[in-house]
Amino acid sequence: MTNEDNGERNGNDFADHVYQPAEDSALLADAACEGIDAGQRVLDVGTGSGYVAARAAETGARVVGSDFNPHACQQARENDVEVVRTDLVSGFAECVFDVVTFNPPYLPTKPEERSDDWMERALSGGETGRAVVTPFVDAVSRVLRSGGVVFVLVSSLTGLDEVEARARKAGFETEEVAEESHFFERLVVLKLVAAGDPDRPRPP
Amino acid sequence: MNESLLEIVCCPLDKHDLDLEVIQRTDEEIAEGRLVCTECGEEYPIEDGIPNLLPPDMRDG
Repeated sequence: MTNEDNGERNGNDFADHVYQPAEDSALLADAACEGIDAGQRVLDVGTGSGYVAARAAETGARVVGSDFNPHACQQARENDVEVVRTDLVSGFAECVFDVVTFNPPYLPTKPEERSDDWMERALSGGETGRAVVTPFVDAVSRVLRSGGVVFVLVSSLTGLDEVEARARKAGFETEEVAEESHFFERLVVLKLVAAGDPDRPRPP
Repeated sequence: MNESLLEIVCCPLDKHDLDLEVIQRTDEEIAEGRLVCTECGEEYPIEDGIPNLLPPDMRDG
C-alpha cells in the first residue's frame, strides 16, 4: 500500500467521524486570519480536521488545536496541528492566548433526533443550537490575555442575538466581522473583545 | 506533543500546573508520557503525541 492509499483510507475514515471543512470553516478562517499577527499564540477550539488551525498557522502564529473527539485530534495532528484533547478550554492555563477561534456545533436538534456518534456531536447544538457555544462564551475569557480576542462562528439558526447577549453578559463587546448568506441560514463571524480593552469595537 | 505546550496547559479539574513524565521521546516530540497535576496528583496520558486533558470521568470513548 502506498502512502497515498493509506492517506486516502484514513481520510475516508475521518470523514465518518470528524466534521470536514465547509463554508463555515472557510468564513471563520478568513476572518480570524485578518486578526492574527505572526508570533501570537492562538487556540482553535473544536479544531476538527485542523483546517482553521492550519490556516491560522500560515500567518506565523503559534497555534494549538483542541477537540473533545479523539478522531478529530488524530486528523488535526496528521495535518501538522499541535493538538490537545480537552473539553472546550478546560485544559488550558489562564491568560495564555492572544486569539481564540471556534466553529461550534450549532444545529438545533430535537432530543428524539439525537444520536451519540462523534459526527452528531460535531454538528448538534442541542435544542437551542447553543448548547456548546454558551459554555464556551462563559469560559473563554479565563484563557485570554489582556487585549485578547475571540472569533466565533454563529449561524442564524442558532440565534445571533442570544449569543451576543450571552457574550455581553460574560464581559465582552461584540462585533460582526464577516457574514455570508446560504440557502437556509446566514453565517456570521462574531469578534468578541473584553469590554474595557482599548481596541474594543467602538459603539456605532 | 512539544514540551513547550507545558506553558499553556493546566489540570482541567483544579487549573494547577502539570508536571511532565516522559515515557517515549522521538526526535521532535514526546510521543508517550503522562501529565501529572502538581496539586491533586491526577494523571493525564499522552498517547501518540496527543495529551488527553479530559477529566477521568469524561475520558471513555
